[in-house]
Amino acid sequence: MHELFRRLRYLLSRGRRDRELANDMEFHREMAAREGTRDPGNTLRLREEAREAWGWMWLERFGQDLRYAGRMLRKSPGFTLAAVLMLAIGIGVNVAAFGFFNFVLWRPVPVRDPGSLLRLERRSPDRFWSDMPYAEMAFFRDQSRTLSALLAQKEARLFVEGESKPARANFVTANFMSELGAHPVWGRVLDPGRDNAAGAEPVAVLSYGFWERHFGADPSVVGKTIRLNDKPVTVAGVVSREFSGLRMSEPDVWIALRQQPYFVAGSELLRNFAGDAGDSDRDGVNVWARLRPGFGPKAAEDELRLLARELRAQYPLAIWKNESIATTPGGFASIHGTERGSGTPKNKQAEVYRIVGLVGALTLLILAAACGNLGGLLLARGVTRQREISIRVSVGAGKGRLARQLFTESILLALLGSAAGLALGSALLRALVVFTDSPAWVSAAPDWRVICFAVGLGFLAAVLFGLTPALQGARQRHRGTIMRQFLIGAQVAASCVLLIVAGLLVRALNHALDSNPGFDVQHVISIDPGLDGHGYSPAAARAYLQTFQARLRGLPGVESVALASIAPLGHKTTSTGTEIGGRGIEIQVNHVDPAFFQTMRIPLLRGRNLQPGDTHAVVISQSLARLWPTGDPLGRPLTLDTNYTVVGVAGSARLTALQDPDSVEAYFLSSEPDLPSTTLVVKTAGLPESLVPLAASIAKDVDPKVFPEIQMLKTSFRLKLRDTEHSALAVSLLGATALLLACLGIVGLVAYAVSQRTKEIGIRVALGARSTHVLSIVLRQFFWPVAAGLVGGMAGGAALSQILRRDLYGISFLDPLTYAAAIGIFAVTVALAALAPARRALRVDPMLALRYE
Amino acid sequence: MPKNEMPSGALVLLILRVLRSGPLHGYAIAQRIHSLSSEVLRVEEGVLYPALQRILLKGWVSSEWGISETNRKVRFYRLTPAGRKQLDAELSGYDRVHQAIQSILKTA
Repeated sequence: MHELFRRLRYLLSRGRRDRELANDMEFHREMAAREGTRDPGNTLRLREEAREAWGWMWLERFGQDLRYAGRMLRKSPGFTLAAVLMLAIGIGVNVAAFGFFNFVLWRPVPVRDPGSLLRLERRSPDRFWSDMPYAEMAFFRDQSRTLSALLAQKEARLFVEGESKPARANFVTANFMSELGAHPVWGRVLDPGRDNAAGAEPVAVLSYGFWERHFGADPSVVGKTIRLNDKPVTVAGVVSREFSGLRMSEPDVWIALRQQPYFVAGSELLRNFAGDAGDSDRDGVNVWARLRPGFGPKAAEDELRLLARELRAQYPLAIWKNESIATTPGGFASIHGTERGSGTPKNKQAEVYRIVGLVGALTLLILAAACGNLGGLLLARGVTRQREISIRVSVGAGKGRLARQLFTESILLALLGSAAGLALGSALLRALVVFTDSPAWVSAAPDWRVICFAVGLGFLAAVLFGLTPALQGARQRHRGTIMRQFLIGAQVAASCVLLIVAGLLVRALNHALDSNPGFDVQHVISIDPGLDGHGYSPAAARAYLQTFQARLRGLPGVESVALASIAPLGHKTTSTGTEIGGRGIEIQVNHVDPAFFQTMRIPLLRGRNLQPGDTHAVVISQSLARLWPTGDPLGRPLTLDTNYTVVGVAGSARLTALQDPDSVEAYFLSSEPDLPSTTLVVKTAGLPESLVPLAASIAKDVDPKVFPEIQMLKTSFRLKLRDTEHSALAVSLLGATALLLACLGIVGLVAYAVSQRTKEIGIRVALGARSTHVLSIVLRQFFWPVAAGLVGGMAGGAALSQILRRDLYGISFLDPLTYAAAIGIFAVTVALAALAPARRALRVDPMLALRYE
Repeated sequence: MPKNEMPSGALVLLILRVLRSGPLHGYAIAQRIHSLSSEVLRVEEGVLYPALQRILLKGWVSSEWGISETNRKVRFYRLTPAGRKQLDAELSGYDRVHQAIQSILKTA
């Protein structure tokens, strides 16, 4: 302990200590000379040996090396710039990807004490809901002792007067904003004391963004009355920019949940369980909870299971058998919408990590390509520095010392690259944040995690590209071509993988745009009135839908109108799991009327259409028919909740899972209880644009309280493709970057190979060698590493794109065209790039070459 | 005498021992060891000063400025209480080992 302390003191005062030591030793020599003893040798070296006892020699040497490295890099600015640029690209892309995931996955949302928040979701052995009935939440709120508060939220679209685009509203429990520490910029936020009281006046709190966009950031709007869904409401305040709740997207207005029925006429969201017939289509709220200090999530889950059992004793229809409440950390922005289904839910975490893994692999490939490139450059540079190294060896530099010094240059390069990469990565991230319309609190400024990541990546890169050149340089062995060939191969492989993945995405996108998704996208609109949200009974819903249908049919250009429980390309899906031939499959379920297939232009391939009264008939898609283990599915039973008979086979139409080639569909006849949650689909002869406002005005006539969501399928289609478009663009950019890096690297290496063998080539030319022969001499050494890299790249591409299988719109992840194109593009580009420096070999003048050196 | 013939542990012991009688400068330490060993042991500059640095770091000796017999400013090394303790410990350890080795050499 004391020794360490003394060592540190020596480090700080090492100038003075060194002078003292020098004085001692000088005196020693003076005395020795007086007595006539022999010369004690090199004093500087002796002093250095003595100083080594202080234990700071490595630091001094590192400082020396660093200064020397800095001088060397300044001496060749072209090389330094190229190297730092390459590293900046390699590291920057990774920093951007890491920074984004850092925000989405590891940074809690900026609310008060995010660590004690839990997200609550309903589970039972055979079904799952990500939301829960309001009454269940209220029961937990009143009974729980492990939770100090429950927060609930229901999202809705509310129409703003004079606006065609509806506003996104978050109906939240009155404690939601204060519990999460939201504070107002103007006015107030929701207050459990005032907004939860019976008969409280309806108020809205504006989000900062909506206030800016819609009210021009005018503070006088507070206290004014605005109309949402034609209902007057007072603006109570504007919440600060940082607050966007617990979701990744910021809503436009915040309103107390208690007021939801006021805006959504007839809503039964807040209804209690008394007299409840069942919960199959009951509306629900998303629920979060705050843990009471001293309790953990496990204790909360245990208690909630008991409470659910207690509640089931009172309402056996509403609460499931063996119901449990799954908790997950609630302080992170959730991206996923409301999900309900049977069986066990998809592992969201696994889904997220699948994406993280894929993106990480792609960006690390860029870094690998950059490192391979730089390694090749450094090896080549090592040769040109041969003279310098041999001088240093002859004046007594050890191999270890030399290697350390050469590696220090790489470290310095890597650190410069990290800094440049951090800047580039932050710029990319800023673009990404703007592009993805993220909430205001998502800032692109790097935090300590991102900085550590960038520096760590720099060191990793230094090891990857700098270690072998340093060792080889110090050993003065430059014929070690195996290493160079390996670097070329690795770089080629990494670039190929990127090109293949980019190619697959581009192919998938083109395929999706060109090919028929199995139904008419261009001429159909969907109308989702959301009658269940307004408390419509099945009979009332039937009347509403019939009136609406009749009015629509009367419009010019409308060819047919049909009903479907699931709007095509909408945000709601229903799937059910079953087994066919011992294989578990997930079927996309839709309840439709007989006009549906004609309206959507889905061909009936075999059998017959659904007919009125078909309670146990099902029409399956061709894709599902193909899964049938034996022969013809027609007339065979399909067992789901009950037994159905397959009466027809329709064309495959991926109405909900557009990008998933494995998706299979089944259509049942729409029945009376389904009607409140049914949507309309309308097919026109001409363009659907003119139909949208007409449908909206009809809706106003049929029931002014209901505000349907009207969508053109072609708009939804474009929206669905947007993700693939973005990823295809991003990966193509990465692929192009890798290709560029590979070209630069190969050009450098070929030029170097030519300069190395100028003399030999000169002799051959003098002896009459043909130009093709000369070219083959220069390029032969690159053939095998490039070929090996291409094969490795194909294998890597196949392995990586398997992850993408379900996102490729039916393009095989082994699509031969893509692979051939990627390899072809790569090979041709690199060959052309290599040819330029190789041709220099042909122009070698034999006489000059022989005089060379 | 080649420097690798004297283990550095022994050198530390000798330095501490010659400093027990009072502070000395570096050259005097070498001289004292040389003369006390009847001119058998010669401590070279390249061994003495690294050893002194190590002992300084251990805190067994401290250094102070003084005037040499040639009237020159030079550092004198003085045994600290910690150094005295270390010397006693090393001496008793050395005695035991020495006796053990002696007895083997005599009887074997």
